[in-house]
Amino acid sequence: MMTTTTAPAVRSDEVWKIFEHDGLAVEAVRGITMSIDPGDFVVIAGPSGCGKTTLLNLFGGLTRPSRGKVWIDERELTGLSERELSKIRLERVGFVFQAYNLLPVLTALENAEFSLLLQGVSANERRRRVTELFAAIGIAGLEDRFPAKLSGGQQQRVAVARAVVGKPALVLADEPTANLDRATSDALLDVMVQLNQEMGTTFVFATHDMHLMERAKRVVRLVDGQIELDERRAPASG
Amino acid sequence: MTASWRALPRLALRNVRRQARRSLLTGAAMALGVALLAFSRALGDGAHEDWIEAGVRMGSGHIAIQSPGYHASKNLDDRLSFEALAYANRALERSDVAERVVAVATRLEVQALAQGPTAAIPVMVTGVDPDVEREFSRLGRQVEDGRYLERGDRLHAYVGARLAERLELRVGSRLVLTAQGADGDIAGQFVRVAGIFRSGLPEADAGIVQIPLWTAREWLGVGESATTLAVLLESGWIVSEMVNTVRETIGTRDDLRALSWQEAMPELEAGIKVDDWGDYVFHVVLFGIIALAIVNTVLMSVLYRTREFGVLRALGLTQVQTASVVVTEGVILTAVSGLLGLAVGVAFTWIFFRNGLDFSAFMESDFTFSGVVLDTVIIPVFRWRMVAMSLGTIAVIGVFASLYPAYRATQIDIAEAMKFEA
Repeated sequence: MMTTTTAPAVRSDEVWKIFEHDGLAVEAVRGITMSIDPGDFVVIAGPSGCGKTTLLNLFGGLTRPSRGKVWIDERELTGLSERELSKIRLERVGFVFQAYNLLPVLTALENAEFSLLLQGVSANERRRRVTELFAAIGIAGLEDRFPAKLSGGQQQRVAVARAVVGKPALVLADEPTANLDRATSDALLDVMVQLNQEMGTTFVFATHDMHLMERAKRVVRLVDGQIELDERRAPASG
Repeated sequence: MTASWRALPRLALRNVRRQARRSLLTGAAMALGVALLAFSRALGDGAHEDWIEAGVRMGSGHIAIQSPGYHASKNLDDRLSFEALAYANRALERSDVAERVVAVATRLEVQALAQGPTAAIPVMVTGVDPDVEREFSRLGRQVEDGRYLERGDRLHAYVGARLAERLELRVGSRLVLTAQGADGDIAGQFVRVAGIFRSGLPEADAGIVQIPLWTAREWLGVGESATTLAVLLESGWIVSEMVNTVRETIGTRDDLRALSWQEAMPELEAGIKVDDWGDYVFHVVLFGIIALAIVNTVLMSVLYRTREFGVLRALGLTQVQTASVVVTEGVILTAVSGLLGLAVGVAFTWIFFRNGLDFSAFMESDFTFSGVVLDTVIIPVFRWRMVAMSLGTIAVIGVFASLYPAYRATQIDIAEAMKFEA
């Protein structure tokens, strides 16, 4: 297990996010209080517009709450400066996005090692960790390819590698399987379950994907920015 | 620099390469601008050098050593005594000065009346040493008729073409010069025209008469004295250094004063400054266009890559690091284009360095400016100082023009950026 603390990987207290849209206040997240334990594999589900992505952004410090508080590793985010938030994102959070969002000018290896590079990890250590990870998730040999030369599934694996390589407290994944076919999606889920089990990485997903929900240890269902259902379950095997 | 900071230039460089066509087009425009700038600067410097050269040769040299009151009075009473003249000559023989002096002309100048067969016209009579003056002044090479003065001449004169026309003089004609001598009495001197010159400068052609120095001294009764010791240096760029050195040497004497050409010919310096300002305005406009090109390219690049900057911020890049990526892109684009443009500009300068650029189709051969006749062929001048200044300016422009796009990149809403479709 990479995380030794028993404190929650991320938690929120009465967190709200209200957007201004055409002069109207849109309440995307309404007073959500929840806590996610280290090593958990959580799916936040719900219909489009229910606030899944916004909640994920709040957990990752990508957006600031309108009210309430968010903690990552017991570090409260709302009082942090932009610089401190950047450091938290760099060291404690990994992101996987629906559209992969690899940097097109960097190779697969350079994309995956980017957060390590920003953390000042040596070149040899970066290469070693990324190469091991690539082998573990089935994309060994693709290190020198640019994203444009990778399939969607391969790109998303590189994105997952980029998210977990720095051993963050949690990985936030927004619809990571939405652009993938069923087989590729299952294979990617296998990778993430494997990383969850072997590295103890905490995963929090926002998704509609039923297959992903079936693999989760915990499913939180949002409706209109509020938690409608929060249940623990035995994940189905891949 | 930490490893994280070292990673950013690589990212910036690849982004510049990624938008190859856009970078190339902008870079080419910028390179052209810089090339134009470098060449126009070299041409401007060349023209100014030529004007200064023409001015100092026509006038009192790069440095004029005179009696303190002479520049304002132009009066024979304010002349240099023989002893002061000898002291000034010794000052110029100092090794650090002498090795940079091309010629030293002793002159005796006086305002006089030139009387020909039909009229009398006020003129400036200059007593000169023909051997020295032939090298010093361009007048000796601008003979229209007859010849220039020679060492053995005594009652000979070298007159301007317009003066000759107005006084109906020809080579061999006689004229009488009348001026106030050193004793205050009016003195006349008969001379015969040895040659007629046409400099193209109306004031000179209508108002200058040169006679041998010894004739002038005898006529005016000034003994071995003179009004001006005109010094021609190897380059106009060392004038202030040399003037200071000469001033240090003659500093203790109150009967000697060293004037730089700028002080002796303020109208020429003013003319060059006005022309310089015109150049500066042109350069500011050019730099402005270059800056706008950079702003446009880098800003478009930032807006086009909104999602990428969102990703970089999500991955943990700080606002300062994000801005530095953008600024580095701008600086790379500017540096490459700048160096290329500079190389082209320098190449053009080199091509025209030998024969110059002929503007005779655009200006008349006797076009004058601030008291000098402009040469229709301008030879551009290459200076490392100009190269260094251009590079420095380009670098500053690159940084400043990238600041706004960089600021925009730091203000990207990360969550919103993820929804952005390029």
